[in-house]
Amino acid sequence: MLFLTRLAFKNLARHRNRTVITSMIIALAVFIYIFYDSLISGMTVMSYGTLIDYETGHLQVVNRAYWAEEEKLPLENLIPMDEALQREIRNGRGFVAASPELNFQARLNNGWDELPVMGKGIDPSAFKGVFALEDQLVEGAMFAPGEYRVVLGKRLADLMDLGLGDYVTLQVKDKNKGLNTIEAEIAGLVHTSNPNVNQNIVYVPLDLAQAALAVEGRVSKVIVRLAEQDWAAKVAVELEQNLKRHNPDLAVYPWSQLEAFAFLGAARLEKQVILAIILLIAAIAIINTVILAALERMSEIGMMKAQGLQNKEVVYTFVMESTGIGLLGGAIGVLMGSILVWFLAKYGIDFDALVGMEMAAFGLPVLGKIYGVWNPKGMITVFAFGVLISFLASIWPAYWAADKDPVQTIYHR
Amino acid sequence: MALLELKGVKKIYDQGKIEVPALRGIDLRVGQGEFTTIFGPSGSGKTTLLNLVGCLDKPTAGTIIFDGRKLDDLDKKELAMIRRHSIGFIFQSYNLIPVLTAYENVEFALRLVNKYNPRETRDRVLDILSAVGLEGLAHRRPNELSGGQKQRVAIARALVKEPKLVLADEPSANLDSKTSEEVLAVMAKMNKELGTTFIFSTHDPLVMAYARRLIEIRDGLIAKDQRREQDAVLN
Ligand SMILES: Nc1ncnc2c1ncn2[C@@H]1O[C@H](COP(=O)(O)OP(=O)(O)O)[C@@H](O)[C@H]1O
Ligand SMILES: [Mg+2]
Repeated sequence: MLFLTRLAFKNLARHRNRTVITSMIIALAVFIYIFYDSLISGMTVMSYGTLIDYETGHLQVVNRAYWAEEEKLPLENLIPMDEALQREIRNGRGFVAASPELNFQARLNNGWDELPVMGKGIDPSAFKGVFALEDQLVEGAMFAPGEYRVVLGKRLADLMDLGLGDYVTLQVKDKNKGLNTIEAEIAGLVHTSNPNVNQNIVYVPLDLAQAALAVEGRVSKVIVRLAEQDWAAKVAVELEQNLKRHNPDLAVYPWSQLEAFAFLGAARLEKQVILAIILLIAAIAIINTVILAALERMSEIGMMKAQGLQNKEVVYTFVMESTGIGLLGGAIGVLMGSILVWFLAKYGIDFDALVGMEMAAFGLPVLGKIYGVWNPKGMITVFAFGVLISFLASIWPAYWAADKDPVQTIYHR
Repeated sequence: MALLELKGVKKIYDQGKIEVPALRGIDLRVGQGEFTTIFGPSGSGKTTLLNLVGCLDKPTAGTIIFDGRKLDDLDKKELAMIRRHSIGFIFQSYNLIPVLTAYENVEFALRLVNKYNPRETRDRVLDILSAVGLEGLAHRRPNELSGGQKQRVAIARALVKEPKLVLADEPSANLDSKTSEEVLAVMAKMNKELGTTFIFSTHDPLVMAYARRLIEIRDGLIAKDQRREQDAVLN
């Protein structure tokens, strides 16, 4: 069989242009996949990061009944913040920091206009341990506990024609359905890669919020930061177990289970579709190449069969030739892809500048440059698929060619 | 015992509604070491006959016995194995593999037989190439060889595995008369030296002059079968 393999590889050099074009198609397909994969992974990593850093943390400790109705931001089923609960959370594995928060519906009023927003009561010092919001202050500073001051998104402020030092009113309904207001000065404006933070949230001192809503000592949830984001799922289970003694209604959800991360699964699905399209293109290119080669070598194949070559041996030479094209194309694609990923990982790509708009405006939690991510497993996979498809796609046309009657092909009948 | 025996062989090509009778009842025995020409006008059935004998096609009726085996009962794979080990083909259009050198084209046939070690393979290929007068041209590709040289490669390729039978279908039809004669002389020499049985078709009188046995075929039937003690050219 070795001499048939040698013949197959010699045939690669026969129509150099055709070999090059077909392997380039495969290379391009592999290259596009690697590029896309690297970028999507980069975006995913960044999105995870921004969601975790500005919104969800690693773990959320919350009352089950509250969780079920969370989008309504109810003031029922809150968690009483006592020392025992805090100790339990602090003692969890990989614990770094915890931040209690009280979320509530509010109407933000600037004196002549109002917008529905989400109020978030926080304790600045605890909050700082969990969230990176302070790094994203574009103006002003974080408030201190007890101050009648708030922090909100720069975009929301612009929308309401508000600036640093302006006074706003938050209209709220307290636990007993009584109307109340929080009057406060704008202490700081933030701009993050999280559109929700930029446009919807007003941060308020926790004690102020608790007083205004008549829920003293209670919070909606406690957000926990861990040393490693990958531990979240495991620690969540452990912590929930430990908290049972303290309060059986409490549940602990890791970030990976939160709805906000669900859209990232969609990107992964898209990747499968892209892979499928790429492989289809490669298969068509290979089938086309094998048919062209077979047509031009008909009488040669006939002669080889006259010499006693069996059909399967003819098939073997064609399949080997195509596999060679697949190997060549795959290798070139991986090489080109690696070079690009290297650049992407080192220098990043500034989509905001490219598109001339912030990606955050499209609802993508991405700010500034996206950096490529190395995914060797993905590269190996797409390379293997490229070769495998080249191999598989050639079998049918090779059989078609091998099955021709040698007499007819030799005599062109 | 004859190497080859045909009994009542018929071949009818089925062309949709029309049936073309190419061979209409051939009885023939060819012995070991014969150098036989089948001649006759175009369309008389020469190629058809050679293809049947060469296990490339099956007769519509009748029996072919080659080397003691009845071909009727054999399947595709068994026929391929007979061709691989026992039959060499030479065609009018050479049919060399263009990406292989003269040496490799000949080697290919020997590799298929898979009987010799690399050293023996090399020696055999080089020997047969020089026997057909291609010494020094072993590393040329077909496109670097003349028509006569290409046909010599084809002869070497057919002979290298020392087949029982070599079939040559109008081997000189694409060659000028001088080259034809050289190629025929090579085949006759091989027949003498190796004792290989040759059957070749032609309608060229020059080619017929080399044969010891002349079989004339007309309209799918043998019209004349004539032997000579000596061929006209080599004696
Ligand atoms: N594959 C085929 N299909 C139909 N008719 C064929 C085929 N091959 C040969 N024939 C016919 O059979 C007859 C004998 O052809 P062939 O054996 O090629 O003769 P020769 O080689 O003596 O010229 C011719 O009439 C030819 O047209
Ligand atoms: Mg003919």
